Amino acid sequence: MPKKECEKEMSAKSRRSRTIHLKLGRMKTMLNVAVIGLGTMGNVHVEAWSRISDVNVAAVSALDREKTEAVASQYGAKPYSQLEALLEQPDIDLVDICLPTYLHKQFVTKAAEAGKHIICEKPLGLDVKEAQEMIDVCEQNGVELYAAQVVRFFPEYVNAREQVKKGKIGKPGIVRLSRGGPFPRAWENWYADEKKSGGLILDMMIHDFDWLRWTFGEVERVMARRVVRSEGTNPLEYVLVTLRTEDGTIAHVEGTWAHPSFRTSFEIAGDKGMIVHDSRDSAPLSLHLRAHEDKGADQGVAVPESPLHKDPYQRQLEHFSRCLMTGARPIVTAYDALKAVEISQAALKSASFGKPVEIGKHEVN
Amino acid sequence: MNIGIISFAHMHANSYAKHLHRHPEAELTAIWDDDPSRGQRASDAFGARYYDDLDQFLHSDVDAVLVCSENAKHRDHVVKASQAGKHVLCEKPIATEIRDAEEMIDSCREHGVILQIAYPVRFAPSVERVRDMVQNGELGDILAINGTNHGQMPGGWFVQKEMSGGGAATDHIVHVMDLVRWMLNDEVKSVYAEMGTRFYDIDVEDCGIVSLEMESGTIVTIDPSWSRPKTFPMWGGVKMEMVGTKGTLSVDVFKQSVLYFNDRDGKVQQLPWAEDMDKRLIDDFLDCIKHNRAPFITGEDGLRTLEVVKAAYESHESKKVVQLTRR
Repeated sequence: MPKKECEKEMSAKSRRSRTIHLKLGRMKTMLNVAVIGLGTMGNVHVEAWSRISDVNVAAVSALDREKTEAVASQYGAKPYSQLEALLEQPDIDLVDICLPTYLHKQFVTKAAEAGKHIICEKPLGLDVKEAQEMIDVCEQNGVELYAAQVVRFFPEYVNAREQVKKGKIGKPGIVRLSRGGPFPRAWENWYADEKKSGGLILDMMIHDFDWLRWTFGEVERVMARRVVRSEGTNPLEYVLVTLRTEDGTIAHVEGTWAHPSFRTSFEIAGDKGMIVHDSRDSAPLSLHLRAHEDKGADQGVAVPESPLHKDPYQRQLEHFSRCLMTGARPIVTAYDALKAVEISQAALKSASFGKPVEIGKHEVN
Repeated sequence: MNIGIISFAHMHANSYAKHLHRHPEAELTAIWDDDPSRGQRASDAFGARYYDDLDQFLHSDVDAVLVCSENAKHRDHVVKASQAGKHVLCEKPIATEIRDAEEMIDSCREHGVILQIAYPVRFAPSVERVRDMVQNGELGDILAINGTNHGQMPGGWFVQKEMSGGGAATDHIVHVMDLVRWMLNDEVKSVYAEMGTRFYDIDVEDCGIVSLEMESGTIVTIDPSWSRPKTFPMWGGVKMEMVGTKGTLSVDVFKQSVLYFNDRDGKVQQLPWAEDMDKRLIDDFLDCIKHNRAPFITGEDGLRTLEVVKAAYESHESKKVVQLTRR
């Protein structure tokens, strides 16, 4: 299925002059990946890589030496405290960057200049300019850049898009999307620093903006309203965004870092029908243990639970590694990730000025 | 008390008539309708005298009238009723134009009659509970409300602009807007709206999103769309997701229903068992009259919600945020 999608996209975008260099040389049967950053996402990725048969987690690197060594030992990887040393290793094909957003550009640039193919966590960059520079440096160095917009690998979101594309709901009218949970606490509380994370809009709503664009086409106009309470021990953020896509569909996206537990939902209504989903109503298991320990204050980032044989993170990383090996175009490109950043930035600007923001006609790269 | 109903154009008139019929201290004695066959049918159904002449109707011995005519006719009917000294319960929206609403309010005040607007959702027990919680400070400061009032396309005069004033935005913004104003004791500062005609081949909007900021800074969105498919088990609903500094509250006003898998008719339906809000609205109106007290939901409440609706249309057309200024 992914390959068919790749082929379709390749023919549709044949005007784009992207050449794919595969520096893998001879036919490789095993990829060596290095994971940079061992926060919540880094750990999720390492775990997912370990389940992918033709990829070897060759190296891991993070600031916390103890954590790095523990993870390295658990997965049979080599620990590195210096990125440069890791990038010098010729056997490493692919670098998977799971660092806070404000570090993406710096690390992607170094990895590209070292000739390594790259997977970068979302959002690709803090703004469009950064994202474009990252795309450019990878192109200049002939390396692939994969953007980890993982919601495109969540089965319920893939399925919903398929139904829309098949015409099950007819002409779309109103699309309602929602995502969020508690305020995420992580290393140095970087989520709470808008300069480092872009806040809720860039860090989390970007998933829904990307899915919206993937399913309904380019976004024309964005109006965002936002409330933030960042002082004290109980920060929260809550955002309501109204968007219009070029085909006339209207979308309402709710983003929350103010709710007690993580949940996502969508309601897609068109003139022939409606599809609804709520993560709270679709979990097959509901477990309540009688006495449980209180978790510490640092609960980490909320990661949705998927009771699947192959979870979305594994699907995503498998897809990228396959694309790297075959030269196929991934179902989400770095350009898609840049466009998602563009929508988020428009929403941030709109919320800041209290006015709608138009997004320029997209240029063909 | 003798009560009259002006027009059965709005389907709620049937519900109101039923409740009047059962009320121990009131009686539906007169019906006027500019559609004679519809008026006669109602007259037969509820045992009230049908008048084809509005003046005659207004000179009958009714103490108060319920105005359930098409939106564009509210002004005329309410002003005339007030001139005849009758108290008025008027369907929502109050009118289709601001100046009409203002005339209605002024006329009722001049003639010393009550003007109440029919916002029955205020009387849903869950809604009253939410208001109490908000006003008691249980949620802290309310920072945001994500509200929906979804429905199905009603057809008929509801989609004829000269009769209704507009489509889904006119029909459905007002309920949630009224609740928000009432619960927060606050007014709208700015309005932005996206609207469309995406579901039906009609001349008015059938969907949209309204994005608001209140004077206090609370952000609110309202989705008034006629987006429920024909196969939806319910006519629609009113929901609010509320975010306060002390907590969040999810409200689904019409959730009290059983799910009925109806093999006979080949459909799935939600059958409500909730207390009837229309009944409590009527009871409240009659109580106002009996005790000659100020109405719970005033003409001003109707005017304030209409202002937001008009601003939403203006915003949609201009693709700009509209700042609201009030008289």
